[in-house]
Amino acid sequence: MTSEVKTHAIDISSMQRDQRTLKLEDEVHTLKVRDLKLFYGDKEALHGVNMDIAKNRVTAFIGPSGCGKSTLLRCFNRMNDLVDSCRIEGQILLDEANIYDRTVNVADLRRRVGMVFQKPNPFPKSIYENVAYGLRIQGIKKKRVIDETVEWALRSAALWDEVKDRLHESALGMSGGQQQRLVIARTVAVKPEVLLLDEPASALDPISTLKIEELIHELKNDFTIVIVTHNMQQAARVSDYTAFMYMGDLIEFGVTDTLFTNPVQKQTEDYITGRYG
Amino acid sequence: MEFEKDNYSTHISQQFNAELETIRTQMLTMGGIVERQVNDAVEALLTGDVELAEQARRIDKQTNEMELLIDEQCTTTIARRQPAASDLRLIISISRAISDLERIGDESSRIAQQAIELAEGNRTQHGFQEVRHIGNLVRDMVKDVLTAFARNDLEMAYRVAKQDRNVDQEYRSAMRALVTYMMEDVRSISSIMNVIWVLRSLERIGDHSRNLAEHLIYQVSGTDVRHQSLQSIKQMVGSDEDSDSDEE
Repeated sequence: MTSEVKTHAIDISSMQRDQRTLKLEDEVHTLKVRDLKLFYGDKEALHGVNMDIAKNRVTAFIGPSGCGKSTLLRCFNRMNDLVDSCRIEGQILLDEANIYDRTVNVADLRRRVGMVFQKPNPFPKSIYENVAYGLRIQGIKKKRVIDETVEWALRSAALWDEVKDRLHESALGMSGGQQQRLVIARTVAVKPEVLLLDEPASALDPISTLKIEELIHELKNDFTIVIVTHNMQQAARVSDYTAFMYMGDLIEFGVTDTLFTNPVQKQTEDYITGRYG
Repeated sequence: MEFEKDNYSTHISQQFNAELETIRTQMLTMGGIVERQVNDAVEALLTGDVELAEQARRIDKQTNEMELLIDEQCTTTIARRQPAASDLRLIISISRAISDLERIGDESSRIAQQAIELAEGNRTQHGFQEVRHIGNLVRDMVKDVLTAFARNDLEMAYRVAKQDRNVDQEYRSAMRALVTYMMEDVRSISSIMNVIWVLRSLERIGDHSRNLAEHLIYQVSGTDVRHQSLQSIKQMVGSDEDSDSDEE
């Protein structure tokens, strides 16, 4: 009898969701933002942001238009360098090294920190060549290596089964959702450390959007992911950590579950529940 | 977070405001009906008023229907609006609260049933004083917890949770007294059994009132205090009131 009684005790720890145990302090931090200020001409667009981005996690930035979330995202691979009037103060540390240091090679940085944009932008080449492009630029010539990497990248982007029979057809003939996954495959092919996604699903239909979200969930095993989205439900679904930004300030940053059920700041609460600011 | 009085009417979507306000108002209406049901049932028992007891039982159908109606609205709002943060907690809390209210209705129905049986058979006076006393405590708990819901008053919710402990103590000592009566007078056993069922129902109503208080605390503060000690609820609410320190 006693042995039977024991079997009634069920281990409920397996029922608890991962996020209950998530703690930003306990993570390895791939990116560290320190007192980051950004100016467009005289206008200060980011007012001293401090945050740590956790390795192999999905961090989402939410906030109203013009709050600085895309601007901040673009700082992570120095895309703002392309804007003439843009000036930056403070530091962003990628694996403890400041990416704004004078010695940093920007092309090398952008290989380590890949980016995907709102609208899919495949090159007017074949599906295969789109993915192989980054590898060829890196000087990889062995066909076997390129073949393997292209397949791996397409599988990672959950696209392989759909395109394996037409790898040498033009990428422009694909649907929007497929194009966006192709662009993600192209980005991951060079094996970056960080993947920046700027509204990756906003131009896609709901089913393609779910596929991208599913993909994000898979990709976080290999990459650190930062995503900007206007879709709050999307942020709630895909991310481990969420940052709410407002008018150039980081208002609240924490575990996604907590932020969406019991935010600390009133501004966050008002925004995620759709109230007047 | 500081609670504002018109917190449910500040959404950009007026339709959403209206939906939340409707759900809240209907829950409070249901609370009012249940409160009356408890009053009627206890009163019917104490006065032997069969008509009032019948009325208390009839109301039960209404509370059952309201539970289904409000629950459906909660489901619809979740599906259509994907509420977050305080809005989500409001809906979850109300969805839980109406199920406790419905159970209070059921217990009241049972009390009314016992009232009818007692009025028709041999009336015993044993235990009526206890019923009156515990009945009054429990009636106040139901009334107070609904007021707390209407005002989002966590201090008041805490007092209701605390009162449940008194009810449990009173219930236990009433049980001891009634067992003694039954041993002394075997002929009274069947009618005293009726009284025991009533006390049991009252004690259950007290438990459901405490549950309601806990739902409100979750709704307003975001902390789930179910299955927590009174002490930790007190800390959550930040009440100045003395909690008599020792815990059940």
